Amino acid sequence: MTQSQATFIVNLYHKAGKLVVYIFLGLFAFITIFPFVWSAILATHDRSTMFARGISFALGDKIAQNYSNLLELMDFWTGMLNSLSISVIGTSFSLIFCSMAGYALATYKFKGRNAIFGVMVGSMMIPPILTLIPYYMVISTLGLANTHLAVWLPFTINPFGIFLIRQYVVASVPKDILEASKLDGASEWRTYWQIVLPLLRPGLATLAIVQFVFLWNNFLNPLVVLNSPEKMVITQMLRGVQGVPNTPWGAVMLGTTISILPLIAIYMTASKQMISGLTSGAVK
Amino acid sequence: MKAHLKAGITALSLITATAFAADIRIDGFPDYDTQINAIKDGLSQHNVTMLKNNHGDHHNKLKTNLATGTGAGDVVLIDVGFVGSFVNAGGFVDLTKFYKDMAGDYASYAVAAGKGNDGAQYAVPVDLGPGVMYYRRDYMEDMGFDLDEVMTDWDTYIDYGRKLKEKGILLIGDAGALANAYYRFNTKEGEGLYFDADGKSLVTSERFVRAFEIAKEVRDGGMDGQISEWTEDWYSGFRDGKFATQMSGAWLLGHLKNWIAPDTAGLWGVSNLPAGTYGSWGGSYLAIPKQAKNPEASWDLIEYMISEDIQLAGFKNIAAFPAHTGTYNDASFEEPIEFLRGQKARMLFAEIVDNVAPVTPMKGDLIAEDLINQALEKVLNDGEDIKKALNDVEKQLKRRVR
Amino acid sequence: MNSETVISQAPVSAPAQKAEQRNHFKEKFTPYGFLMPYFIIYGVFGIFPVFFMIYLSFHLWNPVEGLGSMEFVGLENYVLGLTDPTLWQTMWNTLVMAILSGVPQHLFALPLAYFLVMLGSRARHWLTTAYFLPYITSTVAVSMIFYVMYSKDSGIFNAVLLYLSEAPLTAWILSGIKESLPLGWVQENSLIRYSVSFVVWWKYVGFNTVIYTAGLATISQDLYEAAKIDGANNWQRFRHVSLPLLQPFIFFGVTLTIIGNMNLFDEPFVLTVGGQFAQTNGKTISNYLYQVAWQWLDMGSAAAISWILFVVIGIFTAIYFYLFGRKGLGGE
Repeated sequence: MTQSQATFIVNLYHKAGKLVVYIFLGLFAFITIFPFVWSAILATHDRSTMFARGISFALGDKIAQNYSNLLELMDFWTGMLNSLSISVIGTSFSLIFCSMAGYALATYKFKGRNAIFGVMVGSMMIPPILTLIPYYMVISTLGLANTHLAVWLPFTINPFGIFLIRQYVVASVPKDILEASKLDGASEWRTYWQIVLPLLRPGLATLAIVQFVFLWNNFLNPLVVLNSPEKMVITQMLRGVQGVPNTPWGAVMLGTTISILPLIAIYMTASKQMISGLTSGAVK
Repeated sequence: MKAHLKAGITALSLITATAFAADIRIDGFPDYDTQINAIKDGLSQHNVTMLKNNHGDHHNKLKTNLATGTGAGDVVLIDVGFVGSFVNAGGFVDLTKFYKDMAGDYASYAVAAGKGNDGAQYAVPVDLGPGVMYYRRDYMEDMGFDLDEVMTDWDTYIDYGRKLKEKGILLIGDAGALANAYYRFNTKEGEGLYFDADGKSLVTSERFVRAFEIAKEVRDGGMDGQISEWTEDWYSGFRDGKFATQMSGAWLLGHLKNWIAPDTAGLWGVSNLPAGTYGSWGGSYLAIPKQAKNPEASWDLIEYMISEDIQLAGFKNIAAFPAHTGTYNDASFEEPIEFLRGQKARMLFAEIVDNVAPVTPMKGDLIAEDLINQALEKVLNDGEDIKKALNDVEKQLKRRVR
Repeated sequence: MNSETVISQAPVSAPAQKAEQRNHFKEKFTPYGFLMPYFIIYGVFGIFPVFFMIYLSFHLWNPVEGLGSMEFVGLENYVLGLTDPTLWQTMWNTLVMAILSGVPQHLFALPLAYFLVMLGSRARHWLTTAYFLPYITSTVAVSMIFYVMYSKDSGIFNAVLLYLSEAPLTAWILSGIKESLPLGWVQENSLIRYSVSFVVWWKYVGFNTVIYTAGLATISQDLYEAAKIDGANNWQRFRHVSLPLLQPFIFFGVTLTIIGNMNLFDEPFVLTVGGQFAQTNGKTISNYLYQVAWQWLDMGSAAAISWILFVVIGIFTAIYFYLFGRKGLGGE
């Protein structure tokens, strides 16, 4: 076998491998995207054409009508704005609180560490539907009923987030950097704030997405806490119109589709941060 | 001194309560938001707002509010399915003194269902659901059947289904509805749906066995489409004329006419259920939670909502069938309904309301309903034996209803 | 820890000793300082509900009767729960769906993440966005979309199957099930677990992929270069470089999947229209819990069931931590 033949075979092998990879990636993209395409198509129809039988990918012409229906049904943009402010504020605080706790659990040895970790993992296992009543009791005792604070503050210490950050610190913050920083005379807080946090960027970006998505989609807590229309969040409003059998599906689908957009935006921003950890390769 | 001041403030607030405008929030589910918006200007002395959530969410929120004693509206709308468990819960204002003089104007079976075990009125009916059979007139005519002949009893009804099947038409969307109708509409005076007056379970009684048998006969005979109600398939079933009959409340008429199957106008009729049974299928109540700041003002809203004119307006706005029996004398009740080929169906609805026997709400009703539906599914879909399924329900009820 | 040894190596003088004490004090209390927000918020919002639920599980309580109506019943709720056939049936349903949806999640997510990282930044960006879409959409919306697609007469799944069963090329594959078309994806007890699991799988693959992508981002390129120079091929690099270094993330992801799937609620709830269809096989233990608590208004019994569930998940998690925890938690 000549050199060129060998290169050819290796190249072919590589190309075939790449093709398989592309097919795999593409197929999965199709599977994930399809239901959204389908619902977007449905959002341009009204109910009479929406559920017609057979496979048809034709777009309807009812989108303007659905939009005006939507505005008539609910104070859509107020809800979007409320959801946005709750999610942004809640996410910011939880990034700080969770990274502080996760960092402490990963780097320090101290009394009760395992117990705290156990309690955290344990508290993930308690079904939220059942703690709704005591949650509401606490909120109304604190006088937080019908405030946005009640909807985000309890969730800023998400145990998932703390666990996630802990794992990132373990994987990506080398111990010797912390030592070096301490020898330089930096305080604990400065070490955390100036050295550790920047290293955690991919992890924080992931957490930001998770928190933002959770706060944006949260429904049960706003339902029992928020009861004046100007305070309501978008999930509450969209669900509110689903009670009737003749749910205006076109309008609801359109509202749902629009309400996903901020999540996509935050994801695009955060995923850049996440990936940048790969290219910058902060510390070796 | 302090006590004095407090008393003074209380007195003052009582005066303001009755003399000045109050903010009243009513918590409910759609379509009542449409109705409230249409009528709230008529109650000019108070400022009325509505907190709307979908049907299930609304009731869950209400349960949380009752559990914690805070956060409920000044007036709440309650679906008939929950009334039984709510009226004895102690969380609502006794409305007897407001309501007793006018109670006679409302459908008696519904008024009775709003009373607690202590005989006090905790919830008042605002709309009703007279239960009827919707049927396709054209199918009956084409096959030479007469309505009275079909509806003589359940056997003749099923015979009609067999003939329909030969033509490739289904008798009903989901056979489960037949079982539901049968055991709901054949209760004896003084009984509950699932329990007798002493709280003993009735689910293994003849009423349930027969109900299950009817449904099973229809399912096994291929006379239903296993099309679950309130799904898109069900709606298109109406549009395409897939099934010949459907039992439901009077309120289904509005849905059929407006959006489910407007093109089938003139093809439908309504009738009593087989064997001339009367029953009710849905309905809503109004109540005032004890936590409401100002029960007098809350009552003003309820009184307004159940007044004759507003009841009629509700019938026209959102097809909520009035609980006020005085409305049945309105000229509109004699109007022929085009969608039903000119039938004066509202007279039939009113007649049913007059004849429905009151069913005593019992403590375990919600549990029993779920278990019975689950047993029905096992019998119809998985071929489980009727006796065994019902015995299992009774065993579970004995454990669960405490 | 390392830091202590470093400090103790310093020459000991009087001020240094003081500084050391101060350091020691700081060393001891800083972690608690960092955990302070957690302690405060968890103390206010987390502790009370837990104790309330423990208290509740020993009582008979109908919530609509208000807080005053609790009645002490001792262990009755636990006895009732543990001898309840429905509880064990729903526990089994939950376990089956957890495995059916959980295992494929990670089997797909790992290679997806690995391939994604190899791509150019633009393609990677758009593809991850696509994969992540299901996760950021509210479960209720997702389940509604699938509910429409699973619909028996008008759903796209059945429409496609029906089309394929009649198309000449594919008819023979589907000839076995042609008779039973259209399928009641969410109505039939025999199908519901697969239908629910598919939605759960679909929703969380992207999430796990993102976790793994971010995990791969922590691995230095130098290691891959070194492996390449040593002549490792793609698979070997994945197997011997990526996989071991991803361990904390795999551990994290799988822990979340175990806990999340055992608490599965929304997807089966919406797909079976609030538990109306396929109640025997489609109801998870969380759905049952909801039914007992909010529909049957028996909060005490539901609290007991949730503690039983808690213990079961706890056992699974503990076994998992015991088997893989040392590697997964790392840094010990």
